[in-house]
Amino acid sequence: MPEQFDDSIAPRGPDAREVFCYTGRPPDLGATVRSSRHPSDHPVADFLLILITAIAVGSLYALIALGYTMVYGILKFINFAHSDIFVLGAWTSLTASVCVITWMKLDTQNPPLWLAPVVLLSAMVVCGGVAYIVERLAYKPLRKSPRLNVLITAIGVSLLLQNVGQLPGFTVASKDGRTLATVPFGPSPARMPSLLPDVALTTIPFVHTEPGDVPPTVNLIDVFIFVSAMVLMFALQYLVYHTKLGAAMRAVSFNTETAALMGVPVDRVMSFTFVTGAVLAAAAGFLYSLKYPGLNQPAHEIWVLLGLKAFVAAVVGGIGNVRGAVLGGFLIALIEFMGMFLFSKYLDPLLGTNMGTNLRDVYVFSVLIIVLLVKPSGLLGSPVREKV
Amino acid sequence: MSDYLLDVRDIGISFGGLKACQGLTLQVPARGLHGLIGPNGAGKTTAFNLITGVYQTQTGSVALDGLPVHQLAPHQIAKAGLSRTFQNIRLFGDLSVLDNVRLACHVRGSHTLIGTLFRTRSFVAQERAIRERALHMLDVFDLAGAADEQARSLPYGHQRRLEICRALATEPKALLLDEPAAGMNPSEKVALASTIRQIRDRFGLAILLIEHDMGLVMEICEHITVLDHGTPIATGTPRDVQRNPKVQEAYLGEPGAVL
Amino acid sequence: MSALTDLIPARRPPLLTSLTHGVALPVVYAIAIATLAQFAIGPALGEYWASVGVQVGIAVMLAVSLNIVNGFTGQFSIGHAGFFAIGAYVGAGISYYSALLIWGDPATLPHGAPLMWEGSPSGLFGAGDWIMVAGALLGGCVSAVFGYIVGLPSLRLRGDYLAIVTLGFGEIVRVLLQQTRPQVFEAQELRELAGADLFIPPLGGATGFSGIPKYATLWWVWFFVFFVVLFAYRVKLSSTGRALLSIREDEIASRAMGVNITKYKVRAFVLAAGLAGIAGALYAHSGNVLQPRDAGFQRSFECIIYVVLGGLGSISGAALAAVALSIMTEALRGPEPILENWPILVGLAIAGTIAAGVLRAIKNRGWRITFVLAMTPLSFLALGLASKLFNEVTGVNLAAYRMVVYALLLIVVMLARPNGLFGLTEIWEYFGPIRGPKPGSGNDDSRLAAEPPAPAPPAETQPSTPPTPPAPPTLPPGDAAP
Repeated sequence: MPEQFDDSIAPRGPDAREVFCYTGRPPDLGATVRSSRHPSDHPVADFLLILITAIAVGSLYALIALGYTMVYGILKFINFAHSDIFVLGAWTSLTASVCVITWMKLDTQNPPLWLAPVVLLSAMVVCGGVAYIVERLAYKPLRKSPRLNVLITAIGVSLLLQNVGQLPGFTVASKDGRTLATVPFGPSPARMPSLLPDVALTTIPFVHTEPGDVPPTVNLIDVFIFVSAMVLMFALQYLVYHTKLGAAMRAVSFNTETAALMGVPVDRVMSFTFVTGAVLAAAAGFLYSLKYPGLNQPAHEIWVLLGLKAFVAAVVGGIGNVRGAVLGGFLIALIEFMGMFLFSKYLDPLLGTNMGTNLRDVYVFSVLIIVLLVKPSGLLGSPVREKV
Repeated sequence: MSDYLLDVRDIGISFGGLKACQGLTLQVPARGLHGLIGPNGAGKTTAFNLITGVYQTQTGSVALDGLPVHQLAPHQIAKAGLSRTFQNIRLFGDLSVLDNVRLACHVRGSHTLIGTLFRTRSFVAQERAIRERALHMLDVFDLAGAADEQARSLPYGHQRRLEICRALATEPKALLLDEPAAGMNPSEKVALASTIRQIRDRFGLAILLIEHDMGLVMEICEHITVLDHGTPIATGTPRDVQRNPKVQEAYLGEPGAVL
Repeated sequence: MSALTDLIPARRPPLLTSLTHGVALPVVYAIAIATLAQFAIGPALGEYWASVGVQVGIAVMLAVSLNIVNGFTGQFSIGHAGFFAIGAYVGAGISYYSALLIWGDPATLPHGAPLMWEGSPSGLFGAGDWIMVAGALLGGCVSAVFGYIVGLPSLRLRGDYLAIVTLGFGEIVRVLLQQTRPQVFEAQELRELAGADLFIPPLGGATGFSGIPKYATLWWVWFFVFFVVLFAYRVKLSSTGRALLSIREDEIASRAMGVNITKYKVRAFVLAAGLAGIAGALYAHSGNVLQPRDAGFQRSFECIIYVVLGGLGSISGAALAAVALSIMTEALRGPEPILENWPILVGLAIAGTIAAGVLRAIKNRGWRITFVLAMTPLSFLALGLASKLFNEVTGVNLAAYRMVVYALLLIVVMLARPNGLFGLTEIWEYFGPIRGPKPGSGNDDSRLAAEPPAPAPPAETQPSTPPTPPAPPTLPPGDAAP
């Protein structure tokens, strides 16, 4: 591990309320708690904080869900490996920032602002490239095969991506012994350098605080995540609904053969869809690493669950439906965080337990089960009939 | 209450704005041979799917031997005695010919997990009976020699025959045949016509037939219903239908042509 | 032809025959195989490889049980480890806590075993053994119940959705297991636990459940393996099995022939879950610490790779893949253990070659397969050597990366041979007349290839099959219509 980072994966930022943190560890394992308020004391503030976090996390879910939904709409299968592209995006962001900082000898505590877009771009390029290669090698030969085969292959790719990340990292050194670049892979968690200033934008008004408490705030990072995600989603919306390429994508998703007959280059549209989805996932990975800089090793369950929840979001919104994916993303995040909040606040004291926050995934999957039982095509989806 | 074995009244379904089938009524008595014809896309297979429960009819009713079946699931309708073949052959390709027919015998038996796992007496008896019955059915259709071959490996004509054999193994009261003559040459069609008649005579079924080959339809069907754009435009004996100007217009675009 | 139900009564076998074939003979065979494994093969393998033999048996049970759902019925379930873990924890809880209550200390084996021998810590058929068996059966039942709860709503859905739901199920089981209370180590403490406390059972939580007495000997594991394989085989060769296979082939046609699709999917799911639960309970007693991650996706994927590699639908294929991959994990550690057992290898190679030669005279595919099987231990040796070399050159220990190997294997299999190595065919079927398409019939062997052939164009535009018209099949005069 490069020496400039410490190994603690403590979350940082004034919203460092471990109950809503992705590290998955119980609150008392060496993490610092900035706020000493008990959750039940100030419900309005808590609720608002939850809302803000849910919106930020929902943006991430939405970006990932878009990839799932686009691939499903055009290629008609669930790309299990998609969430691993997201993980790859996060780790590539880490690698890129570490490399650039080492190479240009930048200040790790206060890196220049231009570093963030550079890192984002490199993450997008790498993930897009990997997605393209995967699609060409593993999925394209199976275009005519039954979907079960492609599903199984996707699982294989997902496993591969997860476990390749276990290989140890390496350091590239120049001839005179200077460290040029470090690729921090491997099974140990790593910490992302802070690319954006950890700044509170504004305090939530009308909230009562005890003296000595940290006041609840809206952070730059959350706003940045939301805004970036919105920009990307609008860009995608423009692409799909107002460009020729987007029309081609929609044509292929309706009927591949007819689109081919109409002169649409189906192969290239499919590859492009894949790459677009991967680029969005890479952006989500980058944004995630900004908010939760303690990154776990790629085969950790946390990533799998994240990807699964994003998939649930896509399904709940209506798989194949771009607007549904966005709606689903925010909805699932809201349900997850509200579930945690309500369980911790009301049910945990009743049961004498402390598991409200650990059951976050259970809430999401319960929603999935309900939606699949009641309206399997999702909130914005339309039922598909099989031709007999 | 009617004395028709298969009594279809006013069934219909729309997909979104598209009225795939509307107001279809037909009755087939026992030992009756009824034809359902119409240009491509007229909704004939949709009608079959409505009758067999694949789609739920939005109007009207379907009754089999007096029992209303339009609310039942497809497997329950099959159990009630309605069996069918498919336009694109849907055999169980990887299974053997014998297994295809044995599967069709499944619906008339009772199956428990305990029986299967521990080979109880009733299980063994049923398995033997199924095997015998399936072999007999294959014999009737002259397919017994291929009993252990993969269904997928049969020549096309044999596959069609196997599908009919399989449909009959469910001990149906009424049989729906969806384009049984598709892809056959004229001599095979002659054989098929003879087979259908023999099935009707021997098993006493009501048979409803979708077909494009006019010769075959006119030859063996006693009654014909003509569909166009989802609605019935004519019904009657073959001669009546042949002469009906609406039918001619639907097929050929103008009245006065000779079918 | 008379109706089916009329034919049945006349064909019932006598009670003694059916009891013998149905129950007694299998038990006898199972005992024989288990005894062989424990007392003949076990000592020859040595302690380390005997414990590998236990893990191999459990892997076989998992592979064969998953094959019932993924292989026979064609449903894509990737949460098998969830049922495995449920069975494991139920079995472990029962064994450990009863040992705590009855004997005060689970570690003091053998808890009254009548059959003891040199070097065996737990003997056979002691009180602990029977508690384990009871726990295993109960664990299987609990898993089966969960299989029903999960299967009933989700099996109505399309295949992709089932995959997600089952994957989510596995993860939920893992999360819930992490929330359980810490393990109780003192008998007194256990007695003091009030009833309400047991709502969240003391199964160790995230730290795991340890100290389970090691009752899962080769004997018990392979006794159960026999039954699992037997049950799977009996299901496959029955009308239930045909119904499941028909669902895999074509759901719509299957429904049209009267098969209640949902009922059979659920049935397959419940059976598979129950068998996985039994495997889990045995695993719990094989000396491992149970952890919530045993319900997680990694173990589920291992089961998937066994079934996909071995052949979706082939019991022997899945079992063989489970054996091969379990041993391969060991082989990746290095060639030493295999080299120590070189007499067995040489014997296997010689026997295999002889068998190959003999069978070659019969001229069927069986000889090829036997030869391959006989050579496999040698390939493991080569793999071990290669792994050791790799380790010395790069410092990377390949054994830890077996998931990467599995993943690559999965992808390669799907691209090259999507049916798995054996498809639907059982290995022993290769020794008989080969079922399948005749050469030149133009039909593809691979079931999972293209869609069913498009309807043939009208006869006018396509030259059809034989020029001579087939004789019209006259139905022979027979019984009157029913």
